[in-house]
Amino acid sequence: MLPRQDPIEIFSTFIQFDYDRFGGWATDTRLRRSMRQSLKNISAENADSFWALYWHQIWQQQPTSLAREHLAAYLQEICFWSATKTITGFSSSQYTVSDCFQVAISRIDKVLKGFDRERGFNLKSYASITFANLIRELLRQQKEIDICSDWSLLRKLSQKRMTEALFDAGLDPEIIESYILAWNCLKTIYVPDRPSSTRKLTKPDPETWSAIAKLYNQSRHSQLSNSAEAATSEKLEKWLLICVKAVRSSLFPKVTSINQPKPGYDAGEIVDSLVGEVDESLLVNMIAQEEITQRTQQHTDINQFLVATIQQLKPEEQKLLELYYALDLKQAEIAQELNTKQYSISRKLAKVRKELLMALAQWSQATMHISLTSDILDNISSLLEEWLANHYDSNHTEI
Amino acid sequence: MTTTANSTIFNPTNLVLELDQGTIDRAWLESQTASNPTSRWQNYLNQVALAVFLPWLQTEEDATAKVQNQQPEQAAIWEVVNGTAIAIQDAKLVLIPSEADDIGELRVPQEWIDLPSWAADYYLAVQVNVDAGYVRVWGYATHLQLKQGTFNPSDRTYSLSDESLIDDLNAFWVARALCPDEATQAEIESLPELAPAQADNLIERLGNSAQLLPRLAVPFSTWGALLQNPQLVLRLGAARRGIATKTPVLQWLKQGLSDLSNEFGWRQIELSLSAEGARGAATADAVVPAFGLAKKLAIANQPYELKILPLEEAGAWRFELSCLTLGCLIPAGFKLKLLTSEFQDFEDNEVLATVAVAQLALEVDLDPGESLVWQIEPTPDNYQQEVLQF
Repeated sequence: MLPRQDPIEIFSTFIQFDYDRFGGWATDTRLRRSMRQSLKNISAENADSFWALYWHQIWQQQPTSLAREHLAAYLQEICFWSATKTITGFSSSQYTVSDCFQVAISRIDKVLKGFDRERGFNLKSYASITFANLIRELLRQQKEIDICSDWSLLRKLSQKRMTEALFDAGLDPEIIESYILAWNCLKTIYVPDRPSSTRKLTKPDPETWSAIAKLYNQSRHSQLSNSAEAATSEKLEKWLLICVKAVRSSLFPKVTSINQPKPGYDAGEIVDSLVGEVDESLLVNMIAQEEITQRTQQHTDINQFLVATIQQLKPEEQKLLELYYALDLKQAEIAQELNTKQYSISRKLAKVRKELLMALAQWSQATMHISLTSDILDNISSLLEEWLANHYDSNHTEI
Repeated sequence: MTTTANSTIFNPTNLVLELDQGTIDRAWLESQTASNPTSRWQNYLNQVALAVFLPWLQTEEDATAKVQNQQPEQAAIWEVVNGTAIAIQDAKLVLIPSEADDIGELRVPQEWIDLPSWAADYYLAVQVNVDAGYVRVWGYATHLQLKQGTFNPSDRTYSLSDESLIDDLNAFWVARALCPDEATQAEIESLPELAPAQADNLIERLGNSAQLLPRLAVPFSTWGALLQNPQLVLRLGAARRGIATKTPVLQWLKQGLSDLSNEFGWRQIELSLSAEGARGAATADAVVPAFGLAKKLAIANQPYELKILPLEEAGAWRFELSCLTLGCLIPAGFKLKLLTSEFQDFEDNEVLATVAVAQLALEVDLDPGESLVWQIEPTPDNYQQEVLQF
């Protein structure tokens, strides 16, 4: 992969895949224009990290603005490497780097929402762990979905995921509402009659179907906003099979990147209106040079504190962190290495992380005068993850 | 059990706990008292989540942690609402188990948020995967956060998507330690109490176990008023489970006892020889069974036995309470009582020991299919209300 150098490129180009490999950089002309404009207005900074913080700030104020696309462009390499690295850990995956990349980058909001601009180290390292977690979780889910029968699969979804899958399949909101009700009726009536083997549910029998239809027809008046017609068993079965199909194809949608330039969509108005709505001077002040310096100082302090804290951990706890974060071993492999059970690894890891989180939270309270809340602790926990990943990565480069 | 959990990598902030076959079997067995398959499954998932999470909680974080509601009330709640409340030292958690594998959202029934006596401080998103053999706590939220989340009128839930949850359970313990005074609860308005007649009416309507989603069948203010009264929750649960937990006395006696009868504590007994001559003969439309049933009870640490014996005439039955220790008498003040399945008294439905006696007995005539509930005062240890069907 040819790394991008110019800030304009970094914030306006997207990876093109050649089958499963890096194929080149494609420019989005809207983004290029927007970036040029911004560089003209704000002359001071050329550093990527400045622009990353800048667009993140704008994204927070205007989540649907071009800022999101700029940041998606910025995080292309990180997402690509996360996909490549994570997928190699899953030997049997039928999914390609390109599949994983597309899914991860489409969930960029999770990265942008979770990143704490005040305290986080940098967006790239935060994105790297978040993308890796997302991809890992997706691959795990895919495995589970693959071994489930259609009727079991329907039990294994959140309503949010089901709704999204139907939406992605291009269905109307009113139809989606009916399908969701049908799906809920199925889940209510067609429950497993054994304590396990929940992955192999067969098609419901006619009696069960008529019970599902009865529940649907009773509920539709109170639960659907439109006065939908009554549904027969046959109709419900058809709908639910559409649901199954939508879900199976939605986890790894075969779509081209949402961030790739759309042909014929390069009108300039969006850029101009965007620049007009944001108070530039305010933003620039917020990410002023001094603050970056201060931030760097803060990061050095955190780094020193955590290195010292880790040194005080028991040797086996240090070893555990190293195996997990530096060697990127699976918990089962660590268990083998340390000659113990996987579940005890999960517990021990949680315990060590808790110790570190407690120490870091107390330290932040004392030195940065932060008044703690659950939300802030969640941020500190992400920051800790980010630091651990970075710390062990640089200690053991390229394993 | 081979677990996919062993070959799967979870994100480091997830708490993944092992679920073994013994726990699965126990939870399944205990879930069998639910009134219908829907409630049984809900009961089962909650039992599994609880059986795995609570011991972990007690060992790792808070030895005082315990289930908030007593067993009968808890089972009654699982009849109708998903979720299990746990009390820790100075806060309350609710586990919300789900089979959803995509961990896309936490969906909490409105009852756990909008009923003052039900509302908790924290809500834990728990994924239960029985086939892969794990229980995973993947995020949590405060009452305050959920109240500010999305309310879904169609299934009366509050939901938050995964991005809005706190995904590190460690943050929870650190928060309890470092900022224990953090506001976790939004304000909740209390609901007016139900008039007794209204409550009776509701329990009759919603106590039918064919009503699969009673929580959505009446307006929330009415439903909530019912649920905020523990006595009414118990009555609702009993009414619903009455049907499924009916002890089919006549059926057992005709077909022989199933494994299930042992579970309910009944065993088959031979009738005394002198009485047997007339039995087993078919009358016009009924057969008088050739056996009786007996169940051991403990009352104030003394062993007793309750017997149900068919009399010579079809439909006539004798209930007998006697003491099992040799030479022991039933103390004065003991009462054996029978009620209809609607918990109503009827004529000559109780017998009181005015002095110490060898046995307390009641005889009743019943139509085929008729049901009874037995009670003894003082209440036997581990008494479970059961509806006997004849």
